Amino acid sequence: MYNKLIRNIIRFILLCVVQVFVFDNIQFGNYIHPYVYVLFVMLLPFETPTWRLMLNGFLIGFVVDIFNGTPGLNAAATVFMAFVRPFVIKITTRQSDIEDKYAPTISEMSLQWFVLYGLLLLLLHNFVLFWLEAFSIKLLGIVVLETLLSVPISLVVIVLIMYMFKPVKK
Amino acid sequence: MYNLFIFIRKYNAVILFILLEAVCGVLIVQSLPFQNRKMVNVSNQISGGFHKTTANWMDYLNLKSENEALVEHNALLLKRLGCDENENDTAWYDDTFTYIPAHVVNNSFNRTTNYIVIDKGREDGITIDMGVICNEGVVGKVLNVSEHYASIMSMLNSSMVISCRFLDNQYVANVTWDNLNYRYGVVKDIPSHLVISMGDTLVTSGFSNAFPPNVMVGTVEDYEDDDNSMFSSAKLRFSTNFNTLRHVYVVKNNYRTEIDSLCITN
Repeated sequence: MYNKLIRNIIRFILLCVVQVFVFDNIQFGNYIHPYVYVLFVMLLPFETPTWRLMLNGFLIGFVVDIFNGTPGLNAAATVFMAFVRPFVIKITTRQSDIEDKYAPTISEMSLQWFVLYGLLLLLLHNFVLFWLEAFSIKLLGIVVLETLLSVPISLVVIVLIMYMFKPVKK
Repeated sequence: MYNLFIFIRKYNAVILFILLEAVCGVLIVQSLPFQNRKMVNVSNQISGGFHKTTANWMDYLNLKSENEALVEHNALLLKRLGCDENENDTAWYDDTFTYIPAHVVNNSFNRTTNYIVIDKGREDGITIDMGVICNEGVVGKVLNVSEHYASIMSMLNSSMVISCRFLDNQYVANVTWDNLNYRYGVVKDIPSHLVISMGDTLVTSGFSNAFPPNVMVGTVEDYEDDDNSMFSSAKLRFSTNFNTLRHVYVVKNNYRTEIDSLCITN
């Protein structure tokens, strides 16, 4: 139990550091902004209740926000993502498939499933985030473009991170 | 109470979701200037629309008293118009001067003798020597009239002199142009004992039949004391900007011939 808690805390700190000091500083062009810290919410165990998912999401989003100087922006998007996570899991898996599984990782589920799961969550998260950033219905086209360009990059990075830490998790 | 508890338990995720998003929203709007301004705009629009609608309804509710007030006012105006012949109150209705609106079609302001042409002529009842004013002040006098047009000798003309009065002490003086700048004129024939200060206002005296009394002419810009002569002069800034003149009013004195005949017989 403590082992898992400490692992989650380390994961939290590492993802925050990577997001704030690496990915927020990389310029892939005007429309591409990779967000990898959401991996923390994605990897929380299956049985985590929604309210705890949301509190975790709020916390990590808020930490990233503080470093970015945009209080509330990432937090709002991540809370939204945490809120929809149970629905996404419900529509992408059968109940029997996840009964004996602990967390939604590539090693426990499958790469194919994880890509779908990550894609859906990232789409929703990035769309909410970019829309809140633009804060205008007139800029919807740009928001959609930003989302569509950023999500694949984020997803690739997230999958790579998961493969990097695969032995540790197993 | 128990039901409420059940409700909260059942929808705890949704409630917490709304709560957290509300916190985020407050944080965003408070800390990010663009989002803040946008929110203020939107809320202003909403409240503005609401106020407009309620004002419309309130107007409708006040219609009866509004109507009564209008009827009362209407009766008063009809009475003043002359339905009641006995009450001849000249303070309310002065028929000495009539104003004919006109547009400036040609204007000069940088020669030594400047003229203005307007689009009203004999057909509109304009005759020679009528005064011309605008919203800002005095413009000039009608010099020539054709069927549909009239030429005006503007204040910017060395042969133009009008009779003026100091607004605060009622002394009369004459105003002409300084022949240099279209913004400045000269006040002549000021009694030398008169103490003038900068910014003193001059208005028409009403002694010439062309202009109604108390039309603005200009303000004193600069003043020199000259002890040797009986009369002194001052620099005047015209209230009328002759450069931007567009709309003017020709002043028609309805009793002009009557006044002139008296002057001649004298």
